[in-house]
Amino acid sequence: MTAAAARPAADQSELVRRTMLPIFTKSLIDGWRSLVGWSVGFTAALSLYLPIFPSMSGNSQMQDLIDSLPTELTRTLNYQQIDTGAGYTQSTFFGLMGFLLISIAAISWGAAAIGGDEESGQLELTLAHAVTRVEVAAQRFAALVVKILALALVAFAVILFWNGPAELDIDLANLAVTCLLFGGLALVCGSTALLCGAITGRRIWGIGGGAAVAVVGYVFNAIANQSADLEWLHWLSPYYAAFGDNPLANGTDAWTLVGFYLAALVLGGLAALALRQRDVGV
Amino acid sequence: MTSRGSSGPAIEAIDLVKWFGKTVALDGVSFTVPRGSVFGVIGPNGAGKTTIMRALLDLIRLASGHATLLGTDSRNAGPELRRRIGFLPGELILEGRVTGRRLLRHYANISGPVHSGRVDDLAGRLGLDLDRTVRTLSKGNKQKLGIVQAFMHQPDLLVLDEPTSGLDPLMQQEFLALVSEARDAGQTVFLSSHVISEIQQAADEVAILRDGRIITVAGVESLRDTAIRHIRVSANGLSAAELNSRLVPLIGMGELDCRATATGAEATAVFSGAISPFVQAISTLSLTDLVVEEPELEESVLRLYSQPKARR
Repeated sequence: MTAAAARPAADQSELVRRTMLPIFTKSLIDGWRSLVGWSVGFTAALSLYLPIFPSMSGNSQMQDLIDSLPTELTRTLNYQQIDTGAGYTQSTFFGLMGFLLISIAAISWGAAAIGGDEESGQLELTLAHAVTRVEVAAQRFAALVVKILALALVAFAVILFWNGPAELDIDLANLAVTCLLFGGLALVCGSTALLCGAITGRRIWGIGGGAAVAVVGYVFNAIANQSADLEWLHWLSPYYAAFGDNPLANGTDAWTLVGFYLAALVLGGLAALALRQRDVGV
Repeated sequence: MTSRGSSGPAIEAIDLVKWFGKTVALDGVSFTVPRGSVFGVIGPNGAGKTTIMRALLDLIRLASGHATLLGTDSRNAGPELRRRIGFLPGELILEGRVTGRRLLRHYANISGPVHSGRVDDLAGRLGLDLDRTVRTLSKGNKQKLGIVQAFMHQPDLLVLDEPTSGLDPLMQQEFLALVSEARDAGQTVFLSSHVISEIQQAADEVAILRDGRIITVAGVESLRDTAIRHIRVSANGLSAAELNSRLVPLIGMGELDCRATATGAEATAVFSGAISPFVQAISTLSLTDLVVEEPELEESVLRLYSQPKARR
């Protein structure tokens, strides 16, 4: 740079140099508190549900209770297979509480990454520094991926911990792919939030877009579970794509897994393109 | 300073046009800023100052026209160009949870290299505590942080939108010293203001902007000559008509209003002529009061706009 030549040679003080991936690094550093908080929430939720499985599975009264519920309800909640460890973990955690928690985390992170940053007015100054818009979007998307995968890893570790004590008897490989699907589903919601935030520059549209994918996916799945006539709705549900075949018991095929991460990548790429095209901060 | 790189202007803006919905924000703005100079742009709120700066930084996209910064087209320019630019937004919003030092380190990580001694030096001169959390800083101190952020990597071009807003007068002087040092080091400064005296002190050339159009580009000296002042003169021992006859012939005397007072006469006027003939005209009077007031810039601009030809 020409500016370097003009700098006085006498100044020998410490240099703060340009670093690799400054936006990515900052996103992770800024996000660690939030990540720890969500991890604690995951651990708490899992540690509430999983230890009581032995008392539920061997309990005929519990099964009677579930049998007495309306079938629409048990289908919606996916409680048909609640008597196996895999079915129980799927319906209580991955299908419900865990899905809710990780979706909220992913959507709030995704919506804040560009839309929230622009709305607060901070994105403008960042973009005036030596970084392109595509780099900003890409690095924040990468940070989103890392944080969501970290949460999926927490879920994996905690379930692994309870697998023996709670007599869940879940196959390790199936647990691993289910956690990856779980992360992939959340990532699709989070990337949609990122994209909507990048298009509009508003956090609320990001949250709306991400929540639409999560909620519509869940609702379509629940409705399609009710009757064969409505089964086609399954094909519109990312939730069903991830959990429809009960991956914790049956595993999944590689294409489903790749599909989720590929979709997230496409959404992230679209977010970068959207941000590149438009006026920022107006 | 030839060490600042290739020749050619630091900024060349050609026919910038920008619409926001149905309102035109920039209506064909063209100007050139030579390297190593300080170029000011003044105008009332909403004239388009901020829009020009944001267009130069490629934060907003022009409907037509283009801007070249340091020899590079600003549209989708890469990090290499941005590293050579320091920007201070008009509405500065900084992350609140971290200390000033940490925030500056983040920006240095993007646009570095930066000498940390340089950061401490700038903060010291502006009286800014870098170890306080940004959220707890006053508006003025946040503005100082923004100034440090723009100057710290010694960029070839500084684009500063209302840089002294929120600063007390002492710090405004320190800031103006920074600007003149930057010019001496061969850096180019492009700044906006609505404080005319500040621009007069800092800038070599001034563009006056109104309704998205540059009305005139002038040297600072000519701006000083054309500045409009409110005057009020009270004198003893003469009639209102006599006072009137002394002031009327002066070039640039307008809205003259002379009244009799208990002991003599009083005149108020809006004066845009050279100051020396005015002082001569009243020098023999027995003055009891004299007020020469610098007007609001908005008013100056309005008047310049209504008679553009007379001002060149």
